[in-house]
Amino acid sequence: MGLLDKLSGWLGLRKKEVNVLCLGLDNSGKTTIINQLKPANHSNHLGPLSEEWKHVSQTQAQEIVPTIGFNIEKFKSSSLSFTVFDMSGQSRYRNLWEHYYKESHAIIFVIDSGDKLRMVVAKEELDTLLNHQDIRSRKIPVLFFANKMDLRDAMSSVKVSQMLCLENIRDKPWHICASNAIKGEGLQQGLDWLQEQIAQSTENNEHMNE
Amino acid sequence: MIKKFDKKDEESGSGSNPFQNLEKSAVLQEARIFNETPINPRRCLHILTKIIYLLNQGEHFGTTEATEAFFAMTRLFQSNDQTLRRMCYLTIKEMANISEDVIIVTSSLTKDMTGKEDVYRGPAIRALCRITDTTMLQAIERYMKQAIVDKVPSVSSSALVSSLHMVKMSYDVVKRWVNEAQEAASSDNIMVQYHALGLLYHLRKNDRLAVTKMLNKFTKSGLKSPFAYCMLIRIASKLLDETEGGHDSPLFDFIESCLRNKNEMVVYEAASAIVHMPNCTARELAPAVSVLQLFCSSPKAALRYAAVRTLNKVAMKHPSAVTACNLDLENLITDSNRSIATLAITTLLKTGSESSVDRLMKQISSFVSEISDEFKVVVVQAISALCQKYPRKHSVMMNFLSNMLRDDGGFEYKRAIVDCIISIIEENPESKETGLAHLCEFIEDCEHTVLATKILHLLGKEGPRTPQPSKYIRFIFNRVVLESEAVRAAAVSALAKFGAQNDDLLPSVLVLMQRCMMDSDDEVRDRATFYMNVLQQKQKALNAAYIFNGLSVSIPGLEKSLHQYTLEPTEKPFDMKTVPLATTPITEQKTEIAPVTTSKLPEKLAPSRQDIYQEQLASIPEFQGLGPLFKSSEPLQLTEAETEYVVRCIKHTFARHMVFQFDCTNTLNDQLLQKVVVQMEPSESYEVIHYVPAPNLPYSQPSSCYTLVRLPDDDPTAVSCTFSCTMKYLVRDCDPNTGEPDDDGYDDEYVLEDVEVTVSDHIQKVLKPNFGAAWEEVGDEFEKEETFALASVRTLDEAVGNIISFLGMQPCERSDKVPENKNSHVLVLAGVFRGGHDTLVRARLALADGVTMQVTVRSSEETVVDVILASVG
Ligand SMILES: Nc1nc2c(ncn2[C@@H]2O[C@H](COP(=O)(O)OP(=O)(O)OP(=O)(O)O)[C@@H](O)[C@H]2O)c(=O)[nH]1
Ligand SMILES: [Mg+2]
Repeated sequence: MGLLDKLSGWLGLRKKEVNVLCLGLDNSGKTTIINQLKPANHSNHLGPLSEEWKHVSQTQAQEIVPTIGFNIEKFKSSSLSFTVFDMSGQSRYRNLWEHYYKESHAIIFVIDSGDKLRMVVAKEELDTLLNHQDIRSRKIPVLFFANKMDLRDAMSSVKVSQMLCLENIRDKPWHICASNAIKGEGLQQGLDWLQEQIAQSTENNEHMNE
Repeated sequence: MIKKFDKKDEESGSGSNPFQNLEKSAVLQEARIFNETPINPRRCLHILTKIIYLLNQGEHFGTTEATEAFFAMTRLFQSNDQTLRRMCYLTIKEMANISEDVIIVTSSLTKDMTGKEDVYRGPAIRALCRITDTTMLQAIERYMKQAIVDKVPSVSSSALVSSLHMVKMSYDVVKRWVNEAQEAASSDNIMVQYHALGLLYHLRKNDRLAVTKMLNKFTKSGLKSPFAYCMLIRIASKLLDETEGGHDSPLFDFIESCLRNKNEMVVYEAASAIVHMPNCTARELAPAVSVLQLFCSSPKAALRYAAVRTLNKVAMKHPSAVTACNLDLENLITDSNRSIATLAITTLLKTGSESSVDRLMKQISSFVSEISDEFKVVVVQAISALCQKYPRKHSVMMNFLSNMLRDDGGFEYKRAIVDCIISIIEENPESKETGLAHLCEFIEDCEHTVLATKILHLLGKEGPRTPQPSKYIRFIFNRVVLESEAVRAAAVSALAKFGAQNDDLLPSVLVLMQRCMMDSDDEVRDRATFYMNVLQQKQKALNAAYIFNGLSVSIPGLEKSLHQYTLEPTEKPFDMKTVPLATTPITEQKTEIAPVTTSKLPEKLAPSRQDIYQEQLASIPEFQGLGPLFKSSEPLQLTEAETEYVVRCIKHTFARHMVFQFDCTNTLNDQLLQKVVVQMEPSESYEVIHYVPAPNLPYSQPSSCYTLVRLPDDDPTAVSCTFSCTMKYLVRDCDPNTGEPDDDGYDDEYVLEDVEVTVSDHIQKVLKPNFGAAWEEVGDEFEKEETFALASVRTLDEAVGNIISFLGMQPCERSDKVPENKNSHVLVLAGVFRGGHDTLVRARLALADGVTMQVTVRSSEETVVDVILASVG
């Protein structure tokens, strides 16, 4: 830790670090979403995108391949410093998600709104997640992205939340946003909600600790 | 002893290693901080170090705990601390095989290997390849191909080396990267070029033609990297060896041309390759030896070491080639690097003359305490070889060895010395007493059970026959008081031999035995009780049979016979004569092509060649009821080399029968032989009673047929017989390509060489460690003596050799070695005649215009004595 970091920590300037777990079936667009959030974030801090950065962000967009295991990405919002664990969604790797439940502060659950066939699979995975012993009793915020809303036969976010029976989630704050990860639409809105929730829950925690 | 332990404890307690007393469970507990945010790189680094340390110490991690620690570690990828990340790579590699689901880091590593941070890229590739299996490899193939041709040398090298590791697992995938590897092979970086060549070679090594092409290409175009050159030299010499290519081959020219390379490493590699080639002529060797000679005076210690080490090896095969370097080697005797000095001296000992021995030994003793055990063993081996070459130098050597024995040193070193002293004692009777005295002193403080028991056995064998046997008793009895069970038991056996040999020592030995009967260990007590009872009988024959010359049966055979005995309830006592005899270890064990059925026996007691035959023959129904196999001969060739059919015969002797085993090979690829038998016509009253044919004898697959013969019952003296042999069979011609035989066949026959049965087929070798005692035991009831003149024999050595091979008996007391410059000699032989009769022969030989020989034979059976004398005459 550099001296400046320490200083800013003392002065309360340092951004709070939160761990976010990004889950969802394979091909739902998790990695694309995280990648979108990342360069946007850089441009905030480094000023307007340099030519070089544009190039990098483009190649990154092109080069997205199915994730094997997970990837860690970091970006900052106005008040938080996010560390996102972008997990792979292929069925054989889903049982590895649980290794990372305990230490995460929030969950982003991504759904491919165009994939009606596998909506039941998504629901099943979601239920397993919510019933997991490391998640069940926690008021951990869950942000849903009904992704790929640009597809012609995409379901609306309302339809998606019905199919997943989100109204049954009573003990955790949740929110659903329609999104288009390729264009970056809807992402910021979701992130703002998440930021707020985390701020609240830490306040609550601090009250409880006192 | 106790003192030594204290010292060790002190050393280990010195606490120089902070990781010394790590507890696995505590470390795993600490690893939980990997889950904390924010990450503290310094602390995490320290804990990872501990984990890796434990793993490298061989600590066992259970799958669950390893997996838990591994997944905790994966979280550290969020830190951008370079050192921490590289430690993660190391951890991944170490845990790849003990944690589950290590593929979880695949994407993270792929990101690092394609990222912008060069320090991450190489190590990430290496870690990624450790966790990737064949199915996953396809997913990263694209990245691997790119990495192989990457501009950054460390990335390219990592990718090449990792590919090389993966060749074993996924040859077919890695093969597709050959073009990239070719490109890397023309890199300017010496390491990249070397690694690329390594990968290319391993992809092709099973295809000799491809290897040859590759060698041609690179030897012509030349390479930048000296490492790659060294590799080319190794590949070339391997290929030369495999193809048995002559030294006129271009490959040899290439290797020789490397002797003129600018780089010393390449020059050394070439020289070393040449001197290690089989069948090198002196002329071919000379240039290689002369570059090694140059290196001997190099200012670089590593070069001097390499050169002298190689010369040391060459000296064994081509001592004369190394003599040219003697002067340079002399200069190295005083080298400040003791390893170099040791090798130089031991090389000189191999090549030098007898006169230089004393000087060299003095030189070496001045620093022997400074060199490591490994080199001390080299010195001992050189001494051992020297003793054989110059027996007269044994007193110098013995002195030196006894000093070495007193020094500190590990087991291998001590064993080498003890073995060397024992062989000197055996070769030179005059050195016996000094040698035994040194060994006695050694066992007074010897921590190696194996060596102590070995020496005690030797003392028991040799001690009683020295002029002053009583002086050894104290050393032996001290062992009974102070040592472990195994050593005590060996000491008791040794004591018994003194009591049996020396009447005046018997009373005191009996007293000591009495004390041993109260030992806390079963084996020691049993031995003492047994010997006590035997000794108290005061009968020479008993002593000889039970104390001096132990059992001479085959141990696996004894086990089988006893097992058989317990299966059939009977009133009869167990008969030792039904147990096959041990074939003495002196008969060389040649590897056989025939044995197939065995190898299931525990390793420790490898069955002898005869045990294997016994089992094979017992599985043939016709040969059941022949009793135990008494003796199997060495194979005799019954055909000339390179004939259509190759046949060799092994004679198996039983109590009343002989079985002739014919191992046949058909070398014609257009014939299938069937119903193969060897018909035998005896010259004497031997009776052929059965043929067991080989049903099929296809091309180049050996198979055996057998002939069973009854020995003449009425005439026990008919020990020799000549059989004329003819192989008879049905031929079916067949297609040489498919091996498909014709429907019809025709009978044919093939005449073989005669098979001779001689007296040696009826006698099995038995080693009597104490021949004198055995001689007394058998007694002179059936003793006969005769004198013969061997006019055609010129030397005692020749006479001794002839008698041994003719009678097929075991020379005892090393009497097969005729001392130099003697004109008389006594040869003593022991054996058991068919039917279980102990038989001993003493031949006094005198050299005078030919050799005269007085033969005395003793046996427990009269006819045996006659048979032997008759056959010698
Ligand atoms: N049309 C459309 N395509 C999208 C959208 N988001 C992602 N994609 C595409 O969907 C595919 C899968 O995207 P990824 O980000 O790799 O999906 P993932 O969830 O990370 O998949 P895994 O890593 O296998 O779990 C890619 O081809 C993306 O370009 C979107 O909003 N609209
Ligand atoms: Mg992904």
